[in-house]
Amino acid sequence: MLPLVLSSIALAVGALLALLLPRNGWRAAAAIGTQLAACALSAGPLVRVLRGGAPLEGAWPWAYPVEVVALRVDSLSAFFLVWSLPMTLLGTVYAVGYLDPYFKRGRNGGPQFALLNMTSLAFLVIYSAQNALVFLLGWEIAAVAAWLMVIWDYRSQKVRFAGFNYLVSTHIGLFVLVAAFMLLYAQTGSMDFRTFATVLAKPARIRGVAFMLLGVSFALKSAFFPFHSWLPRAHSAAPAHVSALMSGVIHKAGLFAFLRFVLFIGKPEEWMGWTVLVFGATSAFFGVLYTSVQRDLKRLLGYSSTENVGIAAMGFGVGCLGLTWGVPSLVVAGFAGGLLHIFNHALFKCLLFYAAGAVYRATHTVDLERLGGLLRRLPGAGWLFLLGGIAISALPPLNGFVSEVIIYSGLLSGSAPSPSARVALVCAAALLAFVGAVSALSIVRAFGVAFLGAPRDASVKVAGPTPRSMTASMLVHAAAVVLVGAFPVASLAIATVPAALFSAPAAAAANEGGLVALLTPVQTAAQALLALSVVIGGVGWLLGRRSRKHVTWGCGYTAPNTRMQYSASSFSAQFAAVFEGFLPQLRRERLSKDVFPAQAGHLQTHHIDAVERRTFEVLGQGEEMITRTSERIPEQPRFAFAAGLVALVIAVGLLIGAAR
Amino acid sequence: MSTGSVLAHALVLVALPTFVVGLVNRTKALWSGRRGQPLAQLAYDVVRLLRKQSVVSTVTTPVFRLTPWVGLATALASGVLVPVLARPAPLAFAFDFVFFAYVWGLGRVALMLGALDTGSSFEGMGASREAFFSAILEPAFFVVVGAACLLTGERSFASILALRPTDPIHAVAWVASIVTLLVVVQVESARMPVDDPTTHLELTMVHEVMVLDHSGPDLAALQAAAAIKLTVGLTLVACLLNPLVGRSSGAVVAAVNVAVTLGLAAALGTVESLVARLKLRAVPQYIVVALVAAGVALLATTFHAGGEG
Repeated sequence: MLPLVLSSIALAVGALLALLLPRNGWRAAAAIGTQLAACALSAGPLVRVLRGGAPLEGAWPWAYPVEVVALRVDSLSAFFLVWSLPMTLLGTVYAVGYLDPYFKRGRNGGPQFALLNMTSLAFLVIYSAQNALVFLLGWEIAAVAAWLMVIWDYRSQKVRFAGFNYLVSTHIGLFVLVAAFMLLYAQTGSMDFRTFATVLAKPARIRGVAFMLLGVSFALKSAFFPFHSWLPRAHSAAPAHVSALMSGVIHKAGLFAFLRFVLFIGKPEEWMGWTVLVFGATSAFFGVLYTSVQRDLKRLLGYSSTENVGIAAMGFGVGCLGLTWGVPSLVVAGFAGGLLHIFNHALFKCLLFYAAGAVYRATHTVDLERLGGLLRRLPGAGWLFLLGGIAISALPPLNGFVSEVIIYSGLLSGSAPSPSARVALVCAAALLAFVGAVSALSIVRAFGVAFLGAPRDASVKVAGPTPRSMTASMLVHAAAVVLVGAFPVASLAIATVPAALFSAPAAAAANEGGLVALLTPVQTAAQALLALSVVIGGVGWLLGRRSRKHVTWGCGYTAPNTRMQYSASSFSAQFAAVFEGFLPQLRRERLSKDVFPAQAGHLQTHHIDAVERRTFEVLGQGEEMITRTSERIPEQPRFAFAAGLVALVIAVGLLIGAAR
Repeated sequence: MSTGSVLAHALVLVALPTFVVGLVNRTKALWSGRRGQPLAQLAYDVVRLLRKQSVVSTVTTPVFRLTPWVGLATALASGVLVPVLARPAPLAFAFDFVFFAYVWGLGRVALMLGALDTGSSFEGMGASREAFFSAILEPAFFVVVGAACLLTGERSFASILALRPTDPIHAVAWVASIVTLLVVVQVESARMPVDDPTTHLELTMVHEVMVLDHSGPDLAALQAAAAIKLTVGLTLVACLLNPLVGRSSGAVVAAVNVAVTLGLAAALGTVESLVARLKLRAVPQYIVVALVAAGVALLATTFHAGGEG
């Protein structure tokens, strides 16, 4: 435990130094230096725990409400810490280049670097705390630090609004979490997680209530649908490294906490597993639908976080069902697949956000409709974005495919006890396939519109090359994306020991063998595909060397201009039309009706978030809606009958519920 | 897997696509009263294009020149995973169909990016349609494969395609699987009634419009990849139809499978001669047919299991 405590102290000192030191260079050096020290100190012990070593433990007496600060790093905590700390370090390195234009204008970067250090410190607290109050402290540090980092551009009203939106949402989640902890405290009289475990291990109604409260709180943290509406705003307003860290790293704390409590529950009831699976599937479905229509590149990536945590939760749902049914192969496939997906998502999502940040830094916009042809101007960021995009669409031979194939293996294994459950799992697999294909659509659209073709808007200027600190961070992530994809068996090692926590020790070894047997041929196939693509691509490149240049064939039209290119909205229009009900569109237009228009018309379309929209509608017009509804009841007997039926069902349900 | 059968698989994978496309075209020619092109016309075309110089748009980046070849690599890779000769492919493993579906996905992404790189609105249109259709097609493939998994209790292509109409439940699932996979092939390899591979009316097409700007060796790679994808898709259906699987020696089964594939090509040509291309707006509905058929196969599994338990 000592190295981790020393790391925390180093991080706190680094945060203090970043605030006190006089120049931005020194502040950055203090943050990066102390984070590097923390990573170096903690790496050894964490890897040892991850390879099956004994958990790190420590306890210190503390003042009244806490009484004892107990810390424990088991393999689940180690799994999250082992990549969270280095990725935050990479984000800090990226920030040096990204924030440079602000520093040149005299902005003080100290608070930003101090907050990055505090984020790392919060990880150490959240992932190791064994006491609810200490856990809440870490939770709150992470939330407030993220909020303060989001509002870096606080002069813009839009950014402040996004920041407050996030702050309010995250605290609603906190209230729910506090309620859950209070409920458990009332049962045990202690804030110690181990005593919570004794309550949660017994099937009772209190367990179900605690499960729902905790689930909602963690879902808010990880931005599951329908609790996601703060996320796209915050991600598009924040500096790129903050968006990347929030989406890839910080919000994984919600999933960690969920897994921690599943461990306490031990053997969940069947409805819990189905709830997690359906909740995850819903998030994946809606998240990916929203990615297909966004104009703002960073909002698009934000929605894709909702999608990817949904995919991970589908894995966890399968794992929980496996626990209930006593099918060890489902347990390990679900949890190992989900954990690996969390790790993979952190890798490619940070890469994509960093590349989007490079675009923003160079062009000062991330509006897809104004970009175009950037691959020629920003080749580094462009190719790395493409790599991350292929990975996020779960296409082989990159890392996204590895975790999804494990989840597929659970869904399609047919080891559920009842035929209808088997059919439901196959349907979930089909949904996952849909999600994969739509995310390919979104990423082709984003990359194709922003980086390929010709520039769409002449007023967008592309400034100089991407700074080296930004490129370096992206390259590290890109290398990891390729390595995990090409060597899935070796990469599986990061998730096997934490996944084994969920199953009985005897079964764990056999199941690990099953996963290795699953991934070994996948590894051969992925490497073969990689080699084949490189060889055939190389041959093709050589064959096409002697090419002539000519303008794009306009199908006989000789005066095309760049604004005639297919735009981001037109690319997804046909798809969005099918899912119109879920993807509300705002349309502002002034189109002239004349045959020979006297003045120029204009048309603006924008896809808005259905959840946010409906919430505000209900808030704003709730009273009116109720009045209108109640007015209709006496007029239409059928309506009154339906309302009466609903009321009756609710009343009977309550009675039965109370009687149990 | 012996060296001989790997070589046979590779040989069939390289040689058969030419004749599959040739046979489709010959059938269409016969239906319309023409003599038609030589059966190996595609091979001549590819060789001719490989010797030509390509013309590349000034707007494009290296993405444009690399993607046709990545597409060809994915087509070949998918061919290595599929039991072309109705016996386990050189690379056969548990859940190889997931890998197969995503390898095709990679090929599609490559094709769409190549199209968008030209900055042509026509090609953007084609890419948009391709992305849309594949998004609703993908679930159909997974549902039908999942149903076959549940019915056969196997997890790999060669074994799940051994699904046979042994009883009414299996028969329903078998017919539904064939229907679904045929629609998958029609959509994925851009055949009628989804897409017309012969017209050059840019506004009505999916695949052909995405390759408008490619020429020379790049076009050769695209045509070869399309032919391989069509063949690989048809062999999936052929494996389901092949009457001799498990009843005869490997060589005979393989020969019959090739014959069935060619027969399916002729059937495809007949369909293309007799059926008009659907309106673009109706294509999603046609894909829903595949989804429904796949759903029928999946629901059949519950009856099967119910009878046992």
